[in-house]
Amino acid sequence: MIDKQTAGSDSASEDTINRQLLHAVVRLNTLLLAGVFACVGGLSLLVLTFLSLYRGLPRPGHYLNLLGVFLPGYSVSHSGAWIGMIWGALIGGLLAAMFYRIYARSIVAQIHEYRVNGRSRAGLLGVTLRFDGNHLGFALGSVVALGLVVTTNWLVLRGTADESIHAVLLAQYLPGYSVSLAGSIIGAAELFVTTYILSLLFSFIYNNIARVRGRDPR
Amino acid sequence: MADEASTDKAILMAAFARMDPVALAVALGSIWALMLFLATTILLLKGASDGHQVGTHLGLIGIYLPGYDVTWAGGLLGAAYLWVIGAIAGFFLAVLWNLTHYLYVIMIVVRAAWWKMMAE
Repeated sequence: MIDKQTAGSDSASEDTINRQLLHAVVRLNTLLLAGVFACVGGLSLLVLTFLSLYRGLPRPGHYLNLLGVFLPGYSVSHSGAWIGMIWGALIGGLLAAMFYRIYARSIVAQIHEYRVNGRSRAGLLGVTLRFDGNHLGFALGSVVALGLVVTTNWLVLRGTADESIHAVLLAQYLPGYSVSLAGSIIGAAELFVTTYILSLLFSFIYNNIARVRGRDPR
Repeated sequence: MADEASTDKAILMAAFARMDPVALAVALGSIWALMLFLATTILLLKGASDGHQVGTHLGLIGIYLPGYDVTWAGGLLGAAYLWVIGAIAGFFLAVLWNLTHYLYVIMIVVRAAWWKMMAE
């Protein structure tokens, strides 16, 4: 009786430790991915701005300048490029963190798979990442859809919805989209579906190439 | 107990799983190429109203991708450009992701060795 109770409490404490370990792992990967995308986002906007400046066009960055509507202080200029880098890093990091927090739900299934297939006996760093298309699609789709709703409604709140002649061009790809609350929700739903499908395709390509190259995704 | 031991190892394996740089390069390049090709194709199929040119705004991508415009040939050229750019981005993204994990593991090992040395 006492043995059973001891075994039960041991198992409960192991569960608690594993849960804490899982949370720590998700936190670590969220931070690392946010860091990677902060670098990518910041550098991308910096490079794009300098490319616009030095391409020698009559109106450098005429359209890229429109980003200043969403990123205060940004413009296609030398100082604007550095401000843009900071904004790019902040937004890249934030979106990546949001993405990973949603995508991390697939880790539980991966862990179960490693245990069931006995792959947990392999080396600790010897496993190749496998994308779960459904979770990837859901996470990426949610982030981009939310991004569209936020940016569109920012234009509505500023009172410049009627002047947003460029944003409304999205309706070419997302039928029913307009610079309004209802339009942004319709557009977000369509964007979510499109991103979800592209994510499934992306996962299919990645997983199969990694499998062919002899690294373990199935 | 042995099962529980494998659970925490499995959690760490999932955490430190490596990205395959070549697979990510091909996958990202293909998706980006497909996106630009589809974006161009949709505009071409829809056409423009009388007196207007097709895809004047999308055509501005030509500032960054010399030779690109909203035509069938331009769509293919743009797709090729984005395949290369996506592949480079994917490759470096995977390398960066793996590198951050390796650096983190090295940092933990060094810190553990340091504390062990201090304790002795």
